[in-house]
Amino acid sequence: MTALTPTVFVVDDYAPVRRSISRLLHAAGFLVAAFASAQEFLAQYDPGVWGCLVLDVAMPALNGLELQHILEKAGSLLPIIFLTGSSDIPKSVQAMKHGASDFLTKPVNDEELLAAVRVAIEKNRALRQEQAELSEIQARLATLTPREREVLEHVVKGQLNKQIAGDLGTVEQTVKVHRARVMHKLRLRSVAELVRLTERCRINGS
Amino acid sequence: MSWITIVWSMNAAACLTLAAIYLVVWCKQREGWAHLLFSVTAVAAAAIAAFELAMMHAGTVAQYETLLRWIHLPVWVLTLSFVAFVRLYLQAGRPWLAWSICSLRTLVLVVNFSVTPNINFRRITSLRHFSWWGGDMISMPVGVANPWGLLSSVSLLLVLVFFVDATVTVWRRGDRRRALVVGGSMIFGAILAWHVPLVIWGIINVPFFLCFAYSGIVAAMAYELSYDVLHAAQLARQLQASEATLRESKERIDLATKAAGLVVWTWDIGRDEVWLSEKNRALFGFSESEKLTAERVRSVVYPEDHQLVRQLVENSLTTAEEVQGEYRIVLADGNVRWITRRGRVEFNGNGQAAWERGVLMDITERKQAEEQFRLVVEAAPSAMIMVNAEGRITLVNTQAEAVFGYTREELIDHPIEMLVPERFGSHHAGDRHGYFGNAQARPMGAGRELFGRRKDDSEVPIEIGLNPIHTSEGLFVLASIIDISERKQAELEAARQRNEMTHLSRVTMLGELSGSIAHELNLPLSAILCNAQAGQRVLANGAIDPTELREILNDIVSEDKRAAEVIRRLRLFLKKGEVQQHSLCINGVVQDVLKLIRSDLINQKVAVDCKLARNLPSIIGDPVQLQQVLLNLVVNACDAMAGYNTQERRLIIRTGMENGSSAVIVSVTDRGSSISAEKIEQVFEPFFTTKAKGMGLGLSVCRTIIAAHRGKLWATNNTDCGATFHFSLPIAAPDKGAPITDTNHLTNKECCSHGAVRHRGGVAPNGVNAPQGVAMT
Repeated sequence: MTALTPTVFVVDDYAPVRRSISRLLHAAGFLVAAFASAQEFLAQYDPGVWGCLVLDVAMPALNGLELQHILEKAGSLLPIIFLTGSSDIPKSVQAMKHGASDFLTKPVNDEELLAAVRVAIEKNRALRQEQAELSEIQARLATLTPREREVLEHVVKGQLNKQIAGDLGTVEQTVKVHRARVMHKLRLRSVAELVRLTERCRINGS
Repeated sequence: MSWITIVWSMNAAACLTLAAIYLVVWCKQREGWAHLLFSVTAVAAAAIAAFELAMMHAGTVAQYETLLRWIHLPVWVLTLSFVAFVRLYLQAGRPWLAWSICSLRTLVLVVNFSVTPNINFRRITSLRHFSWWGGDMISMPVGVANPWGLLSSVSLLLVLVFFVDATVTVWRRGDRRRALVVGGSMIFGAILAWHVPLVIWGIINVPFFLCFAYSGIVAAMAYELSYDVLHAAQLARQLQASEATLRESKERIDLATKAAGLVVWTWDIGRDEVWLSEKNRALFGFSESEKLTAERVRSVVYPEDHQLVRQLVENSLTTAEEVQGEYRIVLADGNVRWITRRGRVEFNGNGQAAWERGVLMDITERKQAEEQFRLVVEAAPSAMIMVNAEGRITLVNTQAEAVFGYTREELIDHPIEMLVPERFGSHHAGDRHGYFGNAQARPMGAGRELFGRRKDDSEVPIEIGLNPIHTSEGLFVLASIIDISERKQAELEAARQRNEMTHLSRVTMLGELSGSIAHELNLPLSAILCNAQAGQRVLANGAIDPTELREILNDIVSEDKRAAEVIRRLRLFLKKGEVQQHSLCINGVVQDVLKLIRSDLINQKVAVDCKLARNLPSIIGDPVQLQQVLLNLVVNACDAMAGYNTQERRLIIRTGMENGSSAVIVSVTDRGSSISAEKIEQVFEPFFTTKAKGMGLGLSVCRTIIAAHRGKLWATNNTDCGATFHFSLPIAAPDKGAPITDTNHLTNKECCSHGAVRHRGGVAPNGVNAPQGVAMT
C-alpha cells in the first residue's frame, strides 16, 4: 500500500508558478503531481500516496488554509509547505498551529524550497513509519482478551501480581498466567518495554 | 351829322381810348415802355383823325392850309413811334432804314414849317366842296403841289420798305402771328398812305383818310400789346397760384421744421449773409433787422466748441456732400443747448462755394440721454464696448481701458478686431456680421473659451455678453466684457489642488492595497525564479531536453512581461500628472481595476460578477482617475461585506447606457450592510467614514472626479441587502473622439467589442457567479 517513491503535490491556481515549481522539483528528482485548485487536488487525493504538499495560500473559492483544515479533519499525514505571495503573519501562525511543515514566501529560492520539501518528506516518512509500527502494536493489543487487558492495565501501573489478583478478585497464579500470555502476544520481554508501548499508544490517542 | 363825322370821330375816340388805357397800364408798370410808345402812337393817330375831320370841314383855304401844315406834327410822331415800335418791340428792321426814316421825316417836318403854306402845296387855290358817299359836304384843296412833297413820298416809301423788311425778319424768326398781324397791318397801312400824294397830285379824288391807314396799324399794335397784357395777366394769375402753393408749402415746411425743432438757414457765402427764419433769430438773440454774418452766427457757439465749428465749416466748404457736426451754443437766455448742424454747399460755375443751405436741430435731449447712457456705461462694473455695424468701436468705459491696456483714444473709431487675438480675427469679423444680421441679447461664444488681446499682445480670458442697441444711427452692439483671469487662475488652482487630492487619495488607496499588489508582483517573480533555477538544475543534471528548456525560457519571458505590466500600471496609477482627456471605453477601465485588485478580491473571498454591456459608446475622461473611482467603489464594497458569510460576498459590476440619456452608467453592487437614509448623501462628504482606519476622503474625491467629468455619482440601497454605487458619464460627441495616446487603454473598438470579461468562475445561467472570485488573465 505504501508507494516506494514519495510524491510532491503542488496546488496553485496560477499556472506559471505551478509549472515552474513542478519543473524545479522534477529537476531535483522528485515525483510531482500538480493541481490548479484545492478541489481538483481533493478529487484525486489518495491518502496512501506519501510525500508532501506544496500549497498556495491565496486561491479562489477554497484557499490553502481551508484545504489544510479539510485534510487535517480527514486525518491526512501529508505535510504541507505553504507558499504565499505576501508575508501574512496571522495566516502563517494559523497554518503552523495546524501543523504546517513550513511557510514560505514567494518568490522562493530553490534550495529553500527543496530543503523544506525534503524535510517534509522525511517527516512524512517517519510519521508513516511510526504510524505503521503503532498499527502493528495495536493489532497485537487487539488480540488480548478483556481479562488480559485488565491485567495489562494493572501491570503498567506498576502493581505486583499479588496486588493485581487482589484488585481483580482472583488468585496470584491466574494473574501470572495472564501476564505471561500478554507478554507473549505482544512479543515483549520486559515490563519496561510494555510500559513504553502503552505510553506510545496513549500519546497517539488510540 | 353825316357818317363821315361819326366814323372819323369814332376812330379818334377809339385811338384815344386805347391811348388812355395803355397810358394807365404804363403808369402802373413803368418798365413797360412799349405801352407808353403805343399810347403816344394812338394819341398821334387820334390827332390825325381829328385833323382830317377838321380839314374836311374847313371853310376857307387859309384854314385848310393851317390844318394841313399842323397835321404833319402827329404824322411825324406817328412815324417815329412806328419805327421805334418795330425796332424796340419787334426787334426787327434795319437800323439805317430806321434812322433814315426818322431823319427824313424830321426833315419833312422842318421843311413843312419852313415853306408856305406847307410841304404838300405850293399854293392852294381853292376849296372844292362835294358830297362823298352820301355824307355831308366835305372840302378838298385845289392847288399846285409843292415839289418838296417828294421828300414826304420818299419817306413813305422808306417806311414801306422798312415795314416789309421787318415783317420778313419776324416771319423768318418764326413769329408768324406777329409778322402777319403787326407786320401785315403796317405794310397795308403804308400802302394805304399812298393815297395822300395821289390826292395831292389830283390823281384821285377822295378825302384824306390817313387816319384809317394808321389806326389799322394802331389796332394791330393794340392787339399785339393786349396779347402781351393778357399773357402777363395769365402769368400773374399763375404766379399768384404758385405763390399760394409756395406759401402753403412754406407753411408746411415751417410747421414741419417747428415740429422737428429744425432751424432752416442759408448762407450766401459771397456776400457773407446768413438768413435765418425770423422766429429763430430771437432764439439765438439776433434782432430782426440785424444783418447776420457767419462770424456773428458763430459768436453764439459755446466757447470750447469754436475750433470744432471752424473745422466743420472748413470741411463743408470743400465738398458738395452734406456735412454734419454737433456742437453747443449759448442761447440768448444763457441756456446751453446741443445742436447738430447739417449743411450742403452749392458751387457756382467757377467751382467756388456760393451758397450753403442747411438745418440746425436741437439735440440737447438726445445728448443728455447719451450722456446718461455714457455715465451708466462708465459706472458699469464690467468693461463695456459699443461697436457699430461697421465693427468700429464707438464707446468704451474705464474698465475696458483697464482690461485691454489701451487708452480711450486708441480704441474709439478703431475696428473691434484689434481686441481679438489674431488666431480668431478672421472668424470674428464673420461672426460679427452674422450677429448684426440677427441681433439679440445673448452671451457670446456659448461653450467656447473667449480671449481678448491686450495692447501688449498678451491674451486675457474673458466672458462677453452682447446686447443690440437700435438707434437712429443704426444698430449698435454693446458688449459687456468680464475679465475672468482671476477666476481662471482660481479654477486652475482648484484643479491643481483637486489633482493633488486625488493623487493623495490614490496613493493612500494603493497603500491599503499594497499586500495585494505585492502579491501581483510576486507571482511572476516567483515563476521566473523557479523556472530559472529549474533550468539550472536541468543543465546540471546533464539530461538536457531542449523542449523543456524552451518552455522554461518562454515562461520566464512571459512572466517577466507580466511583472513589467504590473509595475507599469502601478506607476501610471501613482503618477502625479495633468488630468488627461482620452476617448475611452468604460469596460476597459473596469477590467484594469479588476486586474489591480485581483489578489485582494481573492484574499477577501469576494466573487465578482461583471455584467459589461457590449458596444458601449466611448466617453472622454482621464483613465487613471476613473480607475481610481471604480477601485474606490470596489474596495468599499469589499469592506462592506467583510463581516459577512463568504458565500454572501458577491460584487456585481455593471456597465450600460443610462435610460433616456446620452450617458454611460457604471454601478457597483455589494451584498453588505445597507446605508441608512440620512447617510446615503453624507457618505460623499469629506471626512465622513465608517471605517476604523479610513480618512473619509475616498468617496468625496470620487465625487469630485466624476463631477469634473461632467458626470454624477450617487448611492442607492438594494431591495434585499447591501448598497449600489452608480456613476454616469456623458458620452463623447461622435466628432470629438480624441485619438488615444495612452496604449494602456484599449481603443473603443477593442474594448467595446470585448463584451463580458472572462473570469474563471464564469457566469451561471441565472446570472449569478459561482462564488470563487475572479482571476483576470
